Amino acid sequence: MHQVILDRLEQHLSGSPCSREFTAHLESCEECRAEVQQMKELSGVLFTLRAPEALTPSAGFYAQVARRVEAERPRSLWSFVWLEPAFGKRVAFASLMTLAILGSYLITRETEYSAGPPRPEVIMAQQSPADNPDMILATLASYEP
Amino acid sequence: MGTLTGALPLPAFGSRVTVKTRVDYQNSQEGALVRRAQSGDEAAFREIVEHYQSKVFSIIHGIVRQRNDVEDIAQQVFAKVYFSLRNFDFRSSLITWIYKITVNECFDYLRKKKVRKLVYESDLSEDEVRRVENTEPSVDRTTPADESLARHDYVLKLLARVSEEERNLLMLKEVEGHSVEELAEMTGMNENTIKVKLFRARQKLVKAAQRLDRAPGMVAG
Repeated sequence: MHQVILDRLEQHLSGSPCSREFTAHLESCEECRAEVQQMKELSGVLFTLRAPEALTPSAGFYAQVARRVEAERPRSLWSFVWLEPAFGKRVAFASLMTLAILGSYLITRETEYSAGPPRPEVIMAQQSPADNPDMILATLASYEP
Repeated sequence: MGTLTGALPLPAFGSRVTVKTRVDYQNSQEGALVRRAQSGDEAAFREIVEHYQSKVFSIIHGIVRQRNDVEDIAQQVFAKVYFSLRNFDFRSSLITWIYKITVNECFDYLRKKKVRKLVYESDLSEDEVRRVENTEPSVDRTTPADESLARHDYVLKLLARVSEEERNLLMLKEVEGHSVEELAEMTGMNENTIKVKLFRARQKLVKAAQRLDRAPGMVAG
């Protein structure tokens, strides 16, 4: 397409009157004429994208938008726990179970510790005097109730 | 066609260079409203929605033509406006920015709808597909009987073959009827840039139309 046409193309497609130079070139140059004609046809077809009638938004349109914004708002983990009751319940149940298991483990350990070291009679029963009498004496001497 | 233009990488439009001063949207009344909304003022956002909702409805209705879906798409558009408003940099007017979001949302909707239809049809036998097509509204048919709907379908196919920016410019010029001067003000670009971009977009449309016209079953309108 030649410069003289390029300069005034939008003006021409909008339906505004163009310069004599433009019209004269369009009449003499077949290539420009064909291209402008195709662009003009497509320009007319694009007009079909205009709304056929005016649509009025419903009265509560903003409220619907606000609801959608809320629904699509990115959530933090905490809001997820609070806003999803099922997920929150599962988290609470899992936490309680963990606490219960940990608690019972600690209590068991506490019982074992409170039992203290074995009594002298037990040690004597475990170690036969015939085996090593000096060892038994040493154990009894170092015994602290 | 296009032999001479192909040799022109960036045509210089007009002997006189028209460069207008950029419109200062940031310091306008609308700019103040946008800044309030950007800082989390819900009332300001509500004002924006109420001011532009009719325009957005009209753009969507023009592209999608399904009355039932217009409100749903409009809600999605304003939700996107809400979440992206912080990134709005005042380089263009607010309506140009909302227009872009709206048009993109419509084409996204049409693309998803087409994919859903293809997935659905792939599960059906040929006879079932034919039966479904006969019971669907004419808007969804590949070859609509109504000439105006066929032309509408054709335009959407053409516009899907150009870039987002080109599509928006073409629509603002041809559908909304804005002049090159107005487009320059709205987009913050100079008039020559607008003319170049429009020209390239039109060339692409012509090429796309030639390809589509060669394809069987297409109605040029």
